[in-house]
Formats: sequence, structure tokens, C-alpha cells
Amino acid sequence: MNNITFLILRRMRAPLIAVIASFGIAVAGLTFMPGLEVDGQVSRLTLFEAFYIISYTATTIGFGEIPQPFSTAQRLWMTLSIYMTVIPWFYAIGKIISLFQDSGLRQAVTTSRFAREVQNLHEPFYIICSYGETASLLVSALDRKQIRTVVIENQQDRINELELEDYQFDIPALCADAQMPDVLIKAGVRHPMCAGVAALTDHDHVNLAVAIGVKLMNPDLMVLARADNKETAANMASFGTDHIINPYTLFGDHLAMEVHALGTYLLHEWLTGVPGDSLPSPACPPIGRWIVCGYGRFGKSVVENLQREQITTTIVEADPELTGCEDCIIGSGAEARTLEEAGVRDAVGIVAGTDNDINNLSIVMTAREMNPELFVVIRKNRRYNEPLFEHFNADIRMQPSDIIAHECLAHMISPLLAQFLSMVRNQTNAWANQLISQLVGVVGENVPETWAITIDRYHAPAVYNFLSWGKSITLDTLLRNPGNRDSKLDLVPLLLLRDNRPILQPETDITLMSGDQILFCGQPSAKDALPLTLSKYKALSYIIDGTEVPEGFIWRWVSGKMEARKRKQDTL
Amino acid sequence: MNLEKVIFGFFIVLALTLNFGYFIGDMDNPAHHHVYELYAAIIVNLIATVLKFGDRTQIGAVHLATSLVADLQLITAAVLFAAVSGTPSEATMINHVVSLSGGALLANVISVILLIAETITLRR
Repeated sequence: MNNITFLILRRMRAPLIAVIASFGIAVAGLTFMPGLEVDGQVSRLTLFEAFYIISYTATTIGFGEIPQPFSTAQRLWMTLSIYMTVIPWFYAIGKIISLFQDSGLRQAVTTSRFAREVQNLHEPFYIICSYGETASLLVSALDRKQIRTVVIENQQDRINELELEDYQFDIPALCADAQMPDVLIKAGVRHPMCAGVAALTDHDHVNLAVAIGVKLMNPDLMVLARADNKETAANMASFGTDHIINPYTLFGDHLAMEVHALGTYLLHEWLTGVPGDSLPSPACPPIGRWIVCGYGRFGKSVVENLQREQITTTIVEADPELTGCEDCIIGSGAEARTLEEAGVRDAVGIVAGTDNDINNLSIVMTAREMNPELFVVIRKNRRYNEPLFEHFNADIRMQPSDIIAHECLAHMISPLLAQFLSMVRNQTNAWANQLISQLVGVVGENVPETWAITIDRYHAPAVYNFLSWGKSITLDTLLRNPGNRDSKLDLVPLLLLRDNRPILQPETDITLMSGDQILFCGQPSAKDALPLTLSKYKALSYIIDGTEVPEGFIWRWVSGKMEARKRKQDTL
Repeated sequence: MNLEKVIFGFFIVLALTLNFGYFIGDMDNPAHHHVYELYAAIIVNLIATVLKFGDRTQIGAVHLATSLVADLQLITAAVLFAAVSGTPSEATMINHVVSLSGGALLANVISVILLIAETITLRR
């Protein structure tokens, strides 16, 4: 802010000196001019009167000739001083206005305001390095989950979009290049409350630069980076980027999960969904021969995963040289002839995976006409084509930005959630289905809140103190309603992390230890009620043995005396 | 031979000299204190203040501070003079006008000392 003040002062020197000089000469001259004769004496204006007259002349207010009409000499001088003072006056005002409109100045003001907003954050926040489709989804999801974010985006019109969105919290946003370490520092990379950085731009080299910058400046900070190419991903992994997200391989993984473990896939989607959305409708991809149109990164990942699930594939690709496809049918897939050649009539599924929405739609429309029973997987590229995709009833719609956003959410909501989800992948489909039905029973069909708690002095003081006095508390205590100990809160414990050993779906009679971390899933009302049990000694003791502990020093002393007397009576 | 430094030094010294010229003489004798000199001192002090804008060094900040002090005192003196001139209390009130300008004089002296110190340390 100081820089800006100095800049303004420097640039205002010339206009101010012009104003002072012109005023000075005009005022002095006016006092020398002989006025009209009064009582035989030539009257002259005093310095103060002259200053007053020139003031309202230079500012073009123009009252009149005081204290009496001017003489010719005075009027001559007034004419001269009108031209001499009005022009510098307007020059000075114009200069000051243009100073405030100076784009460099405005940029400096915006940047310093952004840095101050970030500095004043006192909750954990994430830095998101982009505001494209993916990042805007992620930011709105985090906002609904009441997690703070800071946004850096290179294009001003996207920042304008951000400002127009209706978010709960104020999101500090800066229009700057996220690669610059200076910008990252202003955005709070070194801030003690920064919980992580997500590099989600459309360009791999920018994401790489951000990841390196953050890892160098603050090695302990979690970094999520999007990498579309394998080389960039390997590069990022080499210096320890925490999570590298490749939307294409992720989708391939998800598709494979959907084929062989639908329950697992549903659980994953549900827990990482945006609050308020409902369960995705299950669609079980059939086993058989599939046609994959488009052999880019997406197509390659799909083919790899399908083949792993023992599904045969026929590839249709318009440019086999570019994509490195051997043994594929040449064509875009949008013409009936190509699909005929690929054997669409006896295939069970088709994947339209080119990077052009219109092509994809055309492919699936043609294919459905020829074989109405086909299972259709379609890749969506641009959000603005959403109405077209809605009308066409595809079985699975894949959008890169959705996938990346869900993956980021999984890591940002809680590190325990990411651990839980990776453990879920190793369980059977039956286990996942059972968990889903249990969750739906407790939480309902909408996307639940997922959160983690830590049993330590800061986050759960009542429980921690209880444990340090040697008493034991079971997990069941935390599940009870602090308002009514006979009813349970609407939540389910998913994971218990003790000494870095995870326990999936812990039993409710397990005793808690200090340092435990527990991942819960439940309704928002349960999320709000649980801290009562964790931090209020009164609530905790009510749940444990139903007694109401008195609050307040005086009543505790009185009740202590009453109990001592009662005990004496009992022993007598 | 830096033209900017010449102008800067010129106005600062001129501010001091005009101020001193106004101040010197019997405090209660209006004949010793010509109002045009006060007027000239104000104008030149304002110009000197504007010239000191925009300097980010510590010494620049103190320069600007002394200039602002001098401006404040001189403008107060001028306002007081405008209020009492022509009234019968001019003879007694002129003391106050002159003492205010004396205050401004001290501020200008400090400014000139700073200027000398800066010049000596540069030594080029």
C-alpha cells in the first residue's frame, strides 16, 4: 500500500506546483492593482481578500466583485488570472483522476487488497490455481462444505464470473499467472492456515511449475496437480507431489470399477459428491464386445481397463498414425458404414471418446439407430453442451472436470477419506453394497457430510480430559445424541485411524484412545451436534452415566457439600 | 551537476531565508514584519513541500515531516493575520503571528540541516 501512496504523490508534484505558482502570482498581483477611490484614498485589496477572490475564480465558482466593484486595473489583472489559474487547476484535477484510473495503479491496489484478504484468513484454506470448469466445480463444492478457498486465475473474465457467483464465503481471487512464485506467496503458500494447493489449469507445464514452486517454498503443504500427460505425471512424482490427477486414467479406473464392482463405484461417487446431489443411478455395463471410438488418452485408458476386465474391444480411430493405434478400424465412427464394419449390431456397448462433443453425439446417435440395445458411454467435453447431453439418454456420461473435482474433494475433505476410499477398492462388491444400504438407512439418499475428528486436547477437550483421568470411553458414546442419551445421532463411523493403523468400520464398543482419528459420515445435524459431546464435559458426562453435572463454581461447591453430608449419613 | 538537486536545494533554502526575513525584528512592532514576505514564505514553503513528495527513504520522510510542520505554522499565522489585520487588536496580536512564524522557522532550519547532512554524506 505504501508503494501506491508514494507513486501517487510523485506523479502529483508537477500539477500541484503549477497550481501553487499560478495562484501565488495571481494573488500577489491582485493586491498590487489599485482599486476604486474610496474617501479620497486608493483602496487596495488585502492579501486575504485577494486569495479569497482568486480561489473562487480558479475553481470556476465565481461569486462577484467584493467588497466593492473593481477598478479597470483590477479587472485587467482578473482577466489575466482567470486564464492563468483555471487551466492549471483543471490540469491538476485531470491528472489526479487519470492517476486513479491508471491500470498499473489499479493492479497494484487489487493485488495488495488480495494479499491483505489472504493474510486475514484464520481458517484452513486451499489455494486453487485456475478457475476453469473443473476449478469452478471444486470451488462451489468446497464452498458448500464450508471450506475456504483462494483462487488464482489468468483470465480476467473468469475472475469476473467468480465475482458474480453466489458463494457463502468471500473468496479472495487474483488475476495473475500462478506460475510466479510471488503470486503464490501472496496467495498464502507460506500462510500457517494454508491446507493445500490444487493446480488444475489446462496446461501441464503450468501445473508442473506450480507444483515445483509450492514444494520448494513449503515442502509440507499438500499439492494436488492435474497432469494430462504421462511424462508430466512422472516428473511431478519425482519431486514428491502428493496427488497427481490424470482424468483419463481415472475414468478408465472408474469404468473398470463400474463393470466389476458397481457397489464400490457407487460408494465412491456418493461420498465424494457435492452436498445436495442425490445418489447416482446405478448402471451396470454389460460384458461382451465393446466398440471404442477415439483412441486418444481417454480411449487408451478405457481400452486398457476394459481389456483387464476381460472385455473384448474393437477400436475405431480417425487418425491411427497420430494415436499409435495398430489394428483398428479407420474412420470417425460417425458414419454408419464404419460402425457396420466394426460390428455394431452384435456389440454390447459403445464408448464415444473423441474430444469433440458433436462427434460423440453423432456417433452414439448413429449407433443407437443401428442397435438400440447398446450400452452407451459418452465423453462430455464442454459444459455448455450440457443441454444436448441431457436430452440424449446415455448410460454413462464422463466429464473430465467432474472426475477431477471429485478426486480433489476426496483429498480435501479429509485425508482420512482418501485412505478410506483406497481401502474400499480392495473390499468386495458385496461389502460395499451392504455399507451403502447401511448409510442410506441412516443418512437418506442425498450426498452425506463426511468429516473427520481427532481425539486430542485441542479438538476434543472433554473426551481428552476424560481419557487422561484414566476413565474409558467407547465409540458408542460419541454416537449418542447429547440432547437425549437414548437416541442416536444420524451418523456412521467409517474409519478409525490409530497409530497409523486403519480400522475399517470400527465396532461401536471399541474404546477410544488419545490421538485417534475417526472418519464419520452422516447428516449435517449430526455434524453440528458431535462437537458438543467432544468438548463439553457436561454433555459427555450426561451421555456416559445420565447425571447432570452442575455448572458454575457456587453450585458445584454446594452440591459437593451436600454429597459429603449424604455420604456421612450413609456410613452412619 | 544535477538540475533536480539544484532546484530542490534552491527552494528549501529560499523557504528558510524568506521565513527568517519575516521573523527577524521586534516582535511587537508590525512595521518590522512585512506581510508580503509572509505571503512569499508560504508560497515557497508549499512548493518545497510538494517537491519533497514521493521520497521513500527515511531521510525523505523526515524532510517531508518538517516541511509539513512549517506549512502548518505559516498557514495558521496567515489566517490569524487575516483575521486581525485592520482591527484595533492588530498591535497586540501581531506578536502571535510572528511567534508562529518563528516556529515555522525552526522547522525550516531542521530541514536545511538535513539537506546539508545529505549533501555531505554523498560527497560526489
